[in-house]
Amino acid sequence: MLVLNADPVFQDRALAILDENASLEIQVVRSLSETVSALLGENFDGLIIEGESHLAFEQATNMRQHFPSLRILCLLLDRREHEVSTVANEQNIELLSMPRGDSSLRANLNRFVRSLDLHAGTAAAEGIDPCHSLIGNLNQFSAAEILQMSCLSQRSGRFTFKSGRGNSEIYLQQGSVRHAVFGSLEGEAAVAEIFRWRQGRFYFEEGIISQEQTVNRPWAHLLIDNLQKLDETLELVSV
Amino acid sequence: MRDKKLETKLRLVTLQLEGWKKLHDLITYGLDKAKPIISSEQERQFTEIRSNLLQETEYVLRELNMVAEVSGKAMSVLQRGVSVRGVRDLTNDEIRRLETDWNGVFTKLGLTQGQLKARRKELAEQSAFDYYLTQVRGRVFRRPATAH
Repeated sequence: MLVLNADPVFQDRALAILDENASLEIQVVRSLSETVSALLGENFDGLIIEGESHLAFEQATNMRQHFPSLRILCLLLDRREHEVSTVANEQNIELLSMPRGDSSLRANLNRFVRSLDLHAGTAAAEGIDPCHSLIGNLNQFSAAEILQMSCLSQRSGRFTFKSGRGNSEIYLQQGSVRHAVFGSLEGEAAVAEIFRWRQGRFYFEEGIISQEQTVNRPWAHLLIDNLQKLDETLELVSV
Repeated sequence: MRDKKLETKLRLVTLQLEGWKKLHDLITYGLDKAKPIISSEQERQFTEIRSNLLQETEYVLRELNMVAEVSGKAMSVLQRGVSVRGVRDLTNDEIRRLETDWNGVFTKLGLTQGQLKARRKELAEQSAFDYYLTQVRGRVFRRPATAH
């Protein structure tokens, strides 16, 4: 779990509660650039952003643009949840106004942590299947590189990506991306998510074609758009 | 078994060490003559880290019972290092003093972090019953002799 808190020494109610959970690994960061840098490491199931409602919510929406599948909880210190609740719903950001009592805060944080457990661990046990025609590590070849190679050689088949975040699939047909799925994300949003992965494994199975078509743009357009988005994300690290 | 106070101390010491490490990175950069350009972004980061340390050091050291040993050295580093550019302009003597004081703070915090982690490991291997039994035993044996 990653916690963005600008003042973790003096504003530590939530941190103290999260500390109680022995099975939870927490990293605390103080700024947005540190958050992006940590998230690009891909070791986090969820992000808690703690702060005044205006700033915390702005940071949460910013993170949502760059990490579409990340579970985000925005912990509002000034209890102005109602001002941002509509947008938060649209952006799939959970809101929690800092309760006065610790028991209520504990219950809400535990609920969020449990919900992460339900989403995590979807990665199936690895095994080399004879029908995998290409297998590799994402820390050696990025998703962009292997998709580029496969599209240029007009491949048709299914890429399966497995990481700590779960499994995702991208279906190619004659060198074009036809369908992509990651959890509840489909189409270009799922492709964008996979582009950011820097850890995990990938497998390619030749000849498996999806009946569904959720991506309609040519590969070159997807590549340029996603690389541009990735550059924008990386720019945040240097801010 | 998990001790809340110990976890808080460990979190505080980890955050402090993180701040002191970042400060050291920027001081080292400032002192490196081969890297002549100091950007405004680096100066901003330095001020941010220095401001956090100035606010938090005294409080954290008090929580860790280390004020007497470390506070003077910590304040000396924070007062001498006013900016990355300022560090570059320090005399050799002042630089040596800065590095010695930084090392004193870092070493003490690092040792404390290690001790706290070791204590956490011990506690993790203990059941709640064992823990309370040890506490009770400690109290019994520490009881002073009654005067006759």
